[in-house]
Amino acid sequence: MTDHPDRPGDATDDAGLAAADSLRLIREQQDRARAALGPDGRALYGAWGVAWLAGYLVLWFSAQGREQPEAWAYWVFAGALAAAVVFTMVHTMSRTSGTRGVSARTGAMYGWAWMLGFLTFSAFLGGLARAGADGELMGLASNGGACLVVGLLYLGGAVAFDDRSLFVLGGWILLVAAAATLAGLPLTYLVMAFAGGGGFLVMALVDHLRIVRRRRRAGEGAGRG
Amino acid sequence: MADALDPVIHAPARLRVVATLAALDAGDELSFPRLQKLLDMTAGNLSTHLRKLEDAGYVRVTKTHEGRTPATYLALTPQGRRAFEDYQEALTGLLRGAGS
Repeated sequence: MTDHPDRPGDATDDAGLAAADSLRLIREQQDRARAALGPDGRALYGAWGVAWLAGYLVLWFSAQGREQPEAWAYWVFAGALAAAVVFTMVHTMSRTSGTRGVSARTGAMYGWAWMLGFLTFSAFLGGLARAGADGELMGLASNGGACLVVGLLYLGGAVAFDDRSLFVLGGWILLVAAAATLAGLPLTYLVMAFAGGGGFLVMALVDHLRIVRRRRRAGEGAGRG
Repeated sequence: MADALDPVIHAPARLRVVATLAALDAGDELSFPRLQKLLDMTAGNLSTHLRKLEDAGYVRVTKTHEGRTPATYLALTPQGRRAFEDYQEALTGLLRGAGS
């Protein structure tokens, strides 16, 4: 296997690679590492897009001709969001396992920010309910408020990760929060489904196109080299 | 050509190790098993290359414990990152020289 029995690691090393081959090797290996070590935005945005679209459409349909959606619709909605939460955690943790340092700490703090934000928000809703809020007021506060928390956390995430498209998404979700609250029930649910869920799905598509474009450009670069 | 290039990085296997670690942000570390998986190398082979990179001062090896299990984390040193950048520049220079 090797001409240098005293240096077993160098079997293929001495061959050397032409410069273009070496540059291609570097790019391919780095693309592979970056793709494997970070969460796939398409999968995460896609999961949340489907959860919001399906969950809020169920609430909207169920609220037709009544004051409030039926109980089963709330369960379907909660199940869709819970599934998206679990998928996000499992996906992100499996992708980032075996890494530590600044990025891992930033990511963990961001995860805790979501947890703290929504724990506080549920206490806030509990307080409103105790003060006598019900019906449309609770519906608007819970949906518009959750949307506000999500939008702000995306803006914060965009700052932490220097991610411009996440900043745009955060701004959009804040607009959705405003529009959904001003629309009033049950129209709120429809705004959340299409503008909110749709916003996530558009982000998944944008992410996908960006990856395709980068891959195509890398292919052209390799051809030129 | 090989004379102008850093021989520590120039070996294809070590070039892939360094390229992978350079894909991490400065201040991040990668565990040995994940690095091994990203490279499709045997543990013994990877250890050999890592030792050479460590001896050259390009890679920092941190041995630690997670619970009771020993764990090894790898990262490029600032010197390693600089050497990798120099190496890439040298390659680009060679490519340009060959093209003209």
